Amino acid sequence: MRSLVKFFSSVKLAIVLIILITIASVVGTLIPQNRGAAEYAARYGGLAGFFTGLGLTTLYRSAWYLGLLILFALNTVVCTLTRLGPKGRRAFGPARTAAPQALAAMRPNVRFRLPGTLDEARARVTAALRDRRYRLDAKAGEGRIDVLARKRRLGWFGSDVVHLGLLVVLAGGLASGLGGRRADLALVEGQTAGVPRAAFQVRLDKFETEYYPKGGVKDWKSRLTVVEGGADVLTRVVEVNEPLRYKGYSFYQSGYGTDWNAARLDLEIRRRGDPAFVKPLTVRTGVRTPVDDPGVTSLLVRRFVPDFVLGEGNQVRSRSEEPRNPAALVEAWKGEERIFAGWIFAKYPDFGQGHAEGMKARMTPGGQAAGAPAPPIAVVLKAYAAAPYSVLEAAYDPGAGLVWLGCALVTAGFFLAFYWPPREIRIALEETRGGTELAAGGHAAKGRDAFQAEFEALFRSVRRPE
Amino acid sequence: MTESTLFTIAFAVYVASLLVYFAALFARRERWSRAAALLALLGLAAHTAALVVRTATSGHAPFTNMYESLSFLSWAIVLALLIFARSARTPRLGPYLMLIVVALVALASSPLMPKEATPLVPALQSYWLWLHVSVTLLGEAFFAVAFVAGILYLASPAPDRKERFDALAYRAVAVGFPLFTLGGLVFGMIWAYRAWGRYWAWDPKEVWSLITWLVFALYLHTRIVMGWKGKRSALIAIVGFLAALFTYFGVNYLLSGLHSYA
Repeated sequence: MRSLVKFFSSVKLAIVLIILITIASVVGTLIPQNRGAAEYAARYGGLAGFFTGLGLTTLYRSAWYLGLLILFALNTVVCTLTRLGPKGRRAFGPARTAAPQALAAMRPNVRFRLPGTLDEARARVTAALRDRRYRLDAKAGEGRIDVLARKRRLGWFGSDVVHLGLLVVLAGGLASGLGGRRADLALVEGQTAGVPRAAFQVRLDKFETEYYPKGGVKDWKSRLTVVEGGADVLTRVVEVNEPLRYKGYSFYQSGYGTDWNAARLDLEIRRRGDPAFVKPLTVRTGVRTPVDDPGVTSLLVRRFVPDFVLGEGNQVRSRSEEPRNPAALVEAWKGEERIFAGWIFAKYPDFGQGHAEGMKARMTPGGQAAGAPAPPIAVVLKAYAAAPYSVLEAAYDPGAGLVWLGCALVTAGFFLAFYWPPREIRIALEETRGGTELAAGGHAAKGRDAFQAEFEALFRSVRRPE
Repeated sequence: MTESTLFTIAFAVYVASLLVYFAALFARRERWSRAAALLALLGLAAHTAALVVRTATSGHAPFTNMYESLSFLSWAIVLALLIFARSARTPRLGPYLMLIVVALVALASSPLMPKEATPLVPALQSYWLWLHVSVTLLGEAFFAVAFVAGILYLASPAPDRKERFDALAYRAVAVGFPLFTLGGLVFGMIWAYRAWGRYWAWDPKEVWSLITWLVFALYLHTRIVMGWKGKRSALIAIVGFLAALFTYFGVNYLLSGLHSYA
């Protein structure tokens, strides 16, 4: 146990750990983190397995990186605690009898003779020190008094406060890592969604995207209402940089999109050989809509894509979320018989009318697939609309508060360590024949020049009080 | 006057200051050194005006792209120089630090850096833009002072001068390290928490500021607890500034991540 404490109290260990953590962190930025196995195989070839095995591809969550941080935390705790005792005595311990050589060894130091009695000398010294806001402790002996004057004593503990702050930050990180959870909620206007593991829901009342006059997104704004127990509790506009916080949860504006899967389409049915016949119809994707016509009893839009493209293996997919090439897979039904199914295109109304399923690959301009019988009707995609949705990230982060507390401690500690230098003056007053012998020494770890000036001014005023 | 005119004036005055600083150094004229510092102050005034005009015309903090942040960083280094000029008690800090300033301003003026002010993307619309970037770059300006002091230490043959450079580097770190910690790490975490919903995401920029921080933590611990001084201290200060520079430049151009503004 003792040797363990000795091991962890070593500053050399701290330095080794700082160097190791630094090197590991550098490695983690050179190897892209949390990517797929295929990307690593392409990038590193035979080394990919080696890197993954060592945890270099998920480095900041790897056991050995976390192990280094834990060792660093233990080292910080033990180092700080073992140094606290001596510092505490130095800052708050009582005055002691000082040997003249000890005072003469201090920088700065001074030695002179005062007229008057020991008590008069003490009164002078005390007044001068109090003027400069020193706190005094005195030890009276046989014919002598030892005065210990100190100020800015908290300055001794600057580094300890920084260390404590770092430990609190690490504890916050641990709490976030173990107890934190997040989920993306994609909501269209009017939609309510449960928040995972929370006893309330959120409803998106309104979602808007603001643009700059010259283009470019200025802001996304989601008006969000917290619903708890069936009642509206709170309404806030969430935007980037302005999250909503409620009962430990935070809701961030994290994305947006258009709900093309529930697109509303305006169609026109035309009958071949009868140019006068035009029948408008509004349908929702996935909803079979009756048509008042003897040839076709209902229409169904199976699928809608905003930016039609044929991908690998002639699979239909959407190249983007923008309506660059909107297309709908339409089925026409007569009773329970599907009389045709095919992709129709808003931008190319004559293209691909009436293809049977599975013939996507053989579409030719002009609308006829080889060998397919001409269907009795044509469907034209006139207009399309879909609701925009807002993606809100719901986050529960139990460590954030600790992290802020730790940050505040680190900042305060830095202030104490660098800008609140503690000062200490020891004075020995000794009664001699016809006067009092004064010897004093000062100590300041930082700001020695300023301290020297203060020290000299102080003892000038002791020697010749105004 | 427009921002670019003011910026060009500042650039010219900085170059003049650089020349006078070096003339003072080689001619051993202390008064010329003071004239150079005065020129630096004049340049700083024009530069400040340029930053103010840019803020007024763009309507946002003047550090949202590489040109703007380079301009602000060089501004901060001149400020750090003027703060340390007197107490450094060496004629060498001015010329070599000004060399860095002129190099940064030249880089900012080069055609590589797009200069037009663009409207802010939503993630940057926050007063934390002011706090995070200004305090971080101010901290890095003092790291630049420590860097120059470190190099001067290594290059200098005279022991008494070495002593002075060593103390100067430490004093610069003592100012820069708290500022960098507060601006870069603490304010960065607070802003990340507001904008992205997490205070730390192990983004390359975040990790590199942690690396920079660790290097300066090493500087302080080896120095204060282990009593390292001189050569090894100077080397760590130099590595620290290079890490800060890499955090600032290198991460943007060489590594990809969330923090893709500047």
